[in-house]
Amino acid sequence: MDALISYLVNVISLGGTYALLALGLAVVFSVLGLINFAHGELMTLTGYVLLAGILTGQQFWVAVLIAVLACGLAAVLMEFAAFRPVRNASGATLLMTSFAVSMLLQVLFQNGISARGQAIPVPPWLTTSISIGNSQISKVQVMSITIGILALIALKIFFDRSYWGWAIRAAADDFEVVGLMGIKASRLISFAFLLSGLLAGIAGVLWVVQRGSVDPLMGFKPVLAAFIVAVIGGLGSLTGAVAGGFILSAIEIALQTWLPAGVMPYRDAITYTVVVIILSFFPNGIFGKRDQEKV
Amino acid sequence: MSDTLLTTTGLAVSYGAVKAVRGSDLEVKEGEVVALLGPNGAGKSSTLRAIVGLIKYQGSVTFAGEDLTGAPTERIVSMGISMVPEGRRLFPQLTVRENLLLGAPRKAKIDALFDELLEKLPILRERLNQQAGTLSGGEQQQVALARALMSKPRLLLIDEPSLGLAPTIVDAVYQILADLRKTGLAMVIVEQEVMRVLKFADRAYAMTTGQIALQGRAEDLLASNEIKKVYLGGA
Ligand SMILES: Nc1ncnc2c1ncn2[C@@H]1O[C@H](COP(=O)(O)OP(=O)(O)OP(=O)(O)O)[C@@H](O)[C@H]1O
Ligand SMILES: [Mg+2]
Repeated sequence: MDALISYLVNVISLGGTYALLALGLAVVFSVLGLINFAHGELMTLTGYVLLAGILTGQQFWVAVLIAVLACGLAAVLMEFAAFRPVRNASGATLLMTSFAVSMLLQVLFQNGISARGQAIPVPPWLTTSISIGNSQISKVQVMSITIGILALIALKIFFDRSYWGWAIRAAADDFEVVGLMGIKASRLISFAFLLSGLLAGIAGVLWVVQRGSVDPLMGFKPVLAAFIVAVIGGLGSLTGAVAGGFILSAIEIALQTWLPAGVMPYRDAITYTVVVIILSFFPNGIFGKRDQEKV
Repeated sequence: MSDTLLTTTGLAVSYGAVKAVRGSDLEVKEGEVVALLGPNGAGKSSTLRAIVGLIKYQGSVTFAGEDLTGAPTERIVSMGISMVPEGRRLFPQLTVRENLLLGAPRKAKIDALFDELLEKLPILRERLNQQAGTLSGGEQQQVALARALMSKPRLLLIDEPSLGLAPTIVDAVYQILADLRKTGLAMVIVEQEVMRVLKFADRAYAMTTGQIALQGRAEDLLASNEIKKVYLGGA
């Protein structure tokens, strides 16, 4: 029972972070048809801004807020500087651009800050635990779960109720026709990057607070996970991104918890095998579009 | 002429080496219904897509006295041109209500318009919360029309309203178009069902291989043999 509770807590906390990341990828994918691999570096940037905030004596929550907003702004600038000039180029060009931006940022972090990891001094009250039954749950995880779930609920309301939410969902279906509705394409794209950046920011805060440090290359692993999540859920599907986040997290944590020590080095290989098996049943992802007639 | 709404002058569209439209001059007057005819690949859709700024073109487009040449689509829509694209192209994952509301400018007061449209197209009221992709073809065409009307256009461009619809449904669609005409809305209708649209339109243009081969009053074209030649590749 206690093992189950702690398993679920871990799954929900990691899954929520994956879901936020994958949603950030999906939102940009909806408007540009691009998987933005520089999304991971946005998380890293969030980590550094958070660190700077804490080191300059800001209240923890103020530092978090600044870090998330800075990440949103950085995403908008990234689109403006890197993707807008190649907007009408092929998908391959866009993808290359995203790799280039990703590596450029990594080098900037390495040379401008430090190649080594920096510890994030989380406030002491966050390092304690609460107990449910006999299991201990760290407050970091409580925070992670709470923020993750609140963010997902807020997004659900945004996508269902707001004009820009409809516009982004519509763009996933048919970007050109969104233009016919009188919506300015470049504004919609900027908006999508802003949203994507804010999501990367929230996920970034949760990520660095959980691992306790930030380093220049740390964005790669989560963005790869988010990419897999998006593929499991169905590229471009928002529901799929959330479902995929929890599925991948459930697989990873299960293996991490119950895999015998001898097989542990194969953990990621086994994870991907399970993912491939899932995809063989759902070639377009679980919530992916079935191949529709193109008109 | 003061009552001219839309003019295109020397409108030309190419896709790489393919010249889809080779310099067409069209005119639509206030409240007029104009048919745009021609065989497959004649350049009808390209003409409409150029007018709303979805593709690059040469030549010029004037609307309501303003030069809209090369203007971005959002400006053209806000000036009062709206289009129902070929194949309708609803947002299939969105509900009917969301499709319609996206058609209106973001901050527009649309309650009255929304109610009026649902009054005209009562089927939609029952379907408001249904995903648009799950509607029948006829219902989708109605949503597509309603969505295009949400921006309160003065000119509606409709690409193949009868595409893939059963004859009785086509009747219903044309009945809706007839009601719209009474409100003074000008229309350009691209249509494969030549006889049907010629009976409905005031004037018509017929294109072949990117050029206007024939133009005139719809009833004159209906009476003459010329239009058949266009479709047989003659003219
Ligand atoms: N995106 C595109 N890329 C390349 N060629 C295109 C493209 N769109 C249209 N064409 C070509 O331009 C020409 C005109 O196409 P258009 O769609 O305007 O014709 P249409 O009159 O609407 O035909 P239909 O009745 O079949 O809808 C055709 O030869 C077509 O193959
Ligand atoms: Mg066409």
